[in-house]
Amino acid sequence: MSSFPHRWANLRSGIVTLYCSLAALLLFASTAAHAIPVYARQTGSACADCHAGAYGGGGNGPNLTPYGMRFKLNGYTDTDGNGGKIPVSAQLVETHTAPARGESSMNLTEADLYLAGRLTDQVGGYVKVEADRVGHNTYNTKLRNVDLRFVARELKLGGKDLTLGVSVNNSPSFDDPIAVLPAATNLGPPGGQGPTGTFLKLSSANAPAYRVIGATVYGLYDSDWYGEVGTYNSLPTSTQDHLGYSISGDPGKIGDTGYFRFAYMKDLKRQFFSVGVVGLTTRRQLQRRGSSDKLTDLGYDLTYQFLGNRENIVQLSYVNILEKRRYGSTPPDPGTPGFTALPRGALHDETLSVTYTFRQSYGLQLAHLESNGTRDAVRFGPYGNPDTTANLLSVFWAPFGKDDSFTSVANMKIAATWFRFTRFNGATNNIFGAPPGVSTTRPADLDAFLVSASLAF
Amino acid sequence: MTKLPLGLSAAVLVFGWVLAALPVHAAEAAAGSDVFKSECAECHSIREGRNKKGPSLFGIVGRKAATLPDYSYSDALRGRNDWVWTPEKLRSYLSQPARQADPGTKMKYDGLTDAKDLDDLISYLGTLH
Repeated sequence: MSSFPHRWANLRSGIVTLYCSLAALLLFASTAAHAIPVYARQTGSACADCHAGAYGGGGNGPNLTPYGMRFKLNGYTDTDGNGGKIPVSAQLVETHTAPARGESSMNLTEADLYLAGRLTDQVGGYVKVEADRVGHNTYNTKLRNVDLRFVARELKLGGKDLTLGVSVNNSPSFDDPIAVLPAATNLGPPGGQGPTGTFLKLSSANAPAYRVIGATVYGLYDSDWYGEVGTYNSLPTSTQDHLGYSISGDPGKIGDTGYFRFAYMKDLKRQFFSVGVVGLTTRRQLQRRGSSDKLTDLGYDLTYQFLGNRENIVQLSYVNILEKRRYGSTPPDPGTPGFTALPRGALHDETLSVTYTFRQSYGLQLAHLESNGTRDAVRFGPYGNPDTTANLLSVFWAPFGKDDSFTSVANMKIAATWFRFTRFNGATNNIFGAPPGVSTTRPADLDAFLVSASLAF
Repeated sequence: MTKLPLGLSAAVLVFGWVLAALPVHAAEAAAGSDVFKSECAECHSIREGRNKKGPSLFGIVGRKAATLPDYSYSDALRGRNDWVWTPEKLRSYLSQPARQADPGTKMKYDGLTDAKDLDDLISYLGTLH
C-alpha cells in the first residue's frame, strides 16, 4: 500500500474540485424539473396527471404516474386535439445553499429553456438547455437531456396492442418510461474521485450522461411488457466542449456499446407495480487512447405506487446495479514499488426511495444511496475503497399544476432538501486521507441543506 | 283517527322518499368521485369548457354524443347521431372496452367491470351540472 503522505499529495489538489462538483451535483439533483407547462398546454392535462407531485414529481425524480409513463412512451405526442401550441417552456430556480462547511449563499442558480412536445402524430421530443450559475453573475450554458422520438401506435400483435418507437437520446436510461433508473431520477450515490460508480449512474465521475449520443428501439406489448435495445457512442471532446461540458468529465471513447431494458409494468388504476432489468456493456478508453476497459452493468429495479383517489400517493422504488470491470491495464502504484492495480473489479450501486405526496401538492421524499466496490489501492484514493453512503430528505410544496388550479400556464415549487453523508471514500473520518497535523474532513462535512424556489412557465 | 287528504299523503310520501334517497345518492356520488379520479380524470376534466385527451364531462348526463363544439371527436363517435348519454347508455358504454362499444373511437378504456363502482361513477357524473 502507498503511504498516506504520498496519497495526500496526489489528492489535495483534487479536493477543492470535488467539493465544487459535489455541490453542483447535489444542487442539480434538488432542482431538476421534469414536468413542463408545454406538455400541459399540449394535452390539456394537469401536471399532476402525469406526476405524483404537481411540479413534475417530488423532491427528486419525475415520480411519473402510469398515465405519465404512457405519455412518455407515446413519444410526448398526446394532444387535446387543438393545434397552435408553442412547444417552448422555461424555468428559473433560486436556491439558498447552506453547506456544512463553507459559506451559505442565495442565488439564481439555474435558468432553463425547454423545447418539447409533439411535432406530428408520430414525432415528439424533450430538449433541455440549462444555464447554471458557476460564479458571480457567470452562467454556463449546456445542452442537458435530449430525447427525440418516433412512435408507431395502434399496432396489433397476436390480437394485443403494440406500441413501437425509436428514441434518439444522450443519456442511457433517461428515456425509460418507469423513470426510476439513475439518469431519469438524478438520484444516485455520490462517488469519490475517479470513476467510482457504475457507468449507468448519473452522478459517477466520467458518466456518459449528456456526453454521448445513441438510439434505442422500444416496444410496449399488451400494455404491460416493455422492451428496449440500443447503442451509444461518446461525443468528441470538442463537441462536449461546445455543448458546455468540461473535458475533464469526458466518459472516454466508448465502443461496442449495447443497452437493454426489459420490464413488466402493471397499471391497476389505484395501484401500480413494476419489475425490471437493465443492462449496458461497453468498451471504454477513458483516456481515448491505449487499452480499453470492459464494463458490464446489470441491474434490476422494483417499484410500487399506491395512487388511490390521488389524495394520498405513496411511491416506492429500489434500484440495484452491479458493474463488472475488466481493466485493460494494471498501472503500478506510484507510492509503493511492486504493487499494481487489480485487473478486475466490481462496483455496486443501490438506491431506495420513498415518496409520499398529499393532494399532489405537499410531499416528502426519503432516499438511501449506497455505493460499494472492490478494494483497489491504486484506482481509488486515498484508501483504495470507493464505498459511499448518503441519505436525502426532501420536502416540497407545489400549489399549482392541478386540474382545479387557476392556471395551467405557469407552475411553482418550493422545496427544502437535506443531503447527509455517512461514508465517503470508504471512510467515516478523514475521508481524504489528510496526514497527521492537517485538518481532516468527515463525511458530515459534505452535508448540505438547500431551499429552492422554482418557477416554470 | 284523522285521515290525511290524498294529495297531502302523496306529498309526504314523496318527500319521505326524497329524504331517504338523498343520503344514498350523496354517498354514491362521493364514492363515484373517487372512482372518477382513479379511472377517468387523467383524460377527462369535470370543468366546463376544459378538454383533455377526452372531452369535458361537465353536463355529460343527458348530453347528445359528440356535441361539444370545441372538441375534436372521432369520426366514429360523430357518426352516432342517435346516442344520448343517459345513465343507461353510460352504463352500457363504460362496462365494456371502449373500442368494443364504439369501434373506431379515440377513447382507450378497458371498461369498468365492478358494478358498484359503475353505479357510483354514473351517480357522480349526474351531479356535474
